[in-house]
Amino acid sequence: MPLVTRNIEPRHVCRQVLPSTIRSELECVTNISLANIIRQLGSLSKYAEDVFGELFVQAGTFAIRVNSLGERVDRLQVKVTQLDPKEEEVSLQAITQKKAFHSNLTQDQQLFCRPSLPLPVQETYLICNPPPPLNNLSQYRDDGKDALKFYTDPSYFFDLWKEKMLQDTKDIMKERRKHRKEKKDNQNMRTLNPRKIKTRKDEWERRKMGEEFVVPKNDMGESLEGLNGSIGSGEVAPGPTWPLPLPHLPLPPLAWGSLPLPPSGFDSSPPAPPPLFSSAYPSPPAPPSPLSQTTISPPPPPSLPQGGGAPPPPPPPPPPGPPPPSSGLPPPSFSIGAPPPLKPTQVQPEAPADAHNDLLSAIRQGFNLRKVEEQKEQEKKDNYGNDVAAILSRRIAVECSDSEDDSSELDDDDWSE
Amino acid sequence: MSIQDDPVQREIHQDWANREYIEVITSSIKKIADFLNSFDMSCRSRLATLNEKLTALERRIEYIEARVSGFEGIHRKVLFT
Repeated sequence: MPLVTRNIEPRHVCRQVLPSTIRSELECVTNISLANIIRQLGSLSKYAEDVFGELFVQAGTFAIRVNSLGERVDRLQVKVTQLDPKEEEVSLQAITQKKAFHSNLTQDQQLFCRPSLPLPVQETYLICNPPPPLNNLSQYRDDGKDALKFYTDPSYFFDLWKEKMLQDTKDIMKERRKHRKEKKDNQNMRTLNPRKIKTRKDEWERRKMGEEFVVPKNDMGESLEGLNGSIGSGEVAPGPTWPLPLPHLPLPPLAWGSLPLPPSGFDSSPPAPPPLFSSAYPSPPAPPSPLSQTTISPPPPPSLPQGGGAPPPPPPPPPPGPPPPSSGLPPPSFSIGAPPPLKPTQVQPEAPADAHNDLLSAIRQGFNLRKVEEQKEQEKKDNYGNDVAAILSRRIAVECSDSEDDSSELDDDDWSE
Repeated sequence: MSIQDDPVQREIHQDWANREYIEVITSSIKKIADFLNSFDMSCRSRLATLNEKLTALERRIEYIEARVSGFEGIHRKVLFT
């Protein structure tokens, strides 16, 4: 429903109830309509001033920018005239070692938030009824949440998205650690160095013609990094899993049908990935070569299951970790009187049963640890808080870019635009 | 009849004249409102093109400055406003 920005006040000039005591009704109507016209002119002039004010402010900011630009141009002029081509020392090392020039891209944020509303619309909002003052009831709540948030929460979707992003970053960090462990196990058998050098040259050659003409990577023969880079934007980090013999795979949410890979089922996995990738991968003979290497080396696969048994247990504890603090701890964290009563009750059973000592001390430590964790989490959230969607979008860029270095720059450009 | 009608007729004539007067005024108010809207829109579009040109110029100047001053390790992260 489109909202009118500026509504001129008396909408209908002559629609007014006439007082019944008047004889000359026609004249009365005329006078009333003339009065309304004057009111309309008044509101019109107020809005006109508002309109011109907004335009003036914008033009003012542009004037400032133009002035600063002019000054920079003047300075540059002076500098250029002072340049002497013979004085400059251009060393080849400086060209390759120094970082390339990246123009800083400013992303506009918080465009459509409350403070950026134009004044007239803000005034219309103020005319509306405010939400009921349910926050007066929040002191009676046990879990400490704002009571109003159950009725209306403007930040709900942002918080949802933020948590999802945090989860994604954590998942990807874990996956990366696992992949690094597996790669270390496998790298002893392979020589990856020459491949890395090649990919960089290919990258630069492809970029010669301009970024728009860059074709996604075709070579399956390139290392796993190439695969990760090509998949990076869409499916995050399922790439390196398929060539490595992982009978257990901690990636349930991904749409990989080939997840439960028995070591003998390698031949089924390469046909599965190529149909999944929409881009062209015209070199199926390449994947069997790394696979043959892995089939030749039976010691690594048996070692992987042992190493893989350790990673799956760590993921389950963290998810149960957050729910218990939220549900079990609010009473101790918000009522200071609760821990002292807990301790005396714990002291009594300690005396009769020494075997429970360790359990109880562990429980106490667990409570303390969880309290501290919860406080730390809260502090972290307050620190990042709504720092900006910047941090979050940066995390996504990190997710995509860290998958591998090569095509990460492409992904960063996509994100930053 | 004519004598009785005269005051009524006069009133009605006067009323018609008043209404025409009011109509003229209200239509001119509408013209003013239209003009304001169109002025606002055109101004905003021009300012927007100005803005684009300014940002393009700023980026070019940054690049030229970097080249002139010899690429002194200029690697800025994406800025968020």
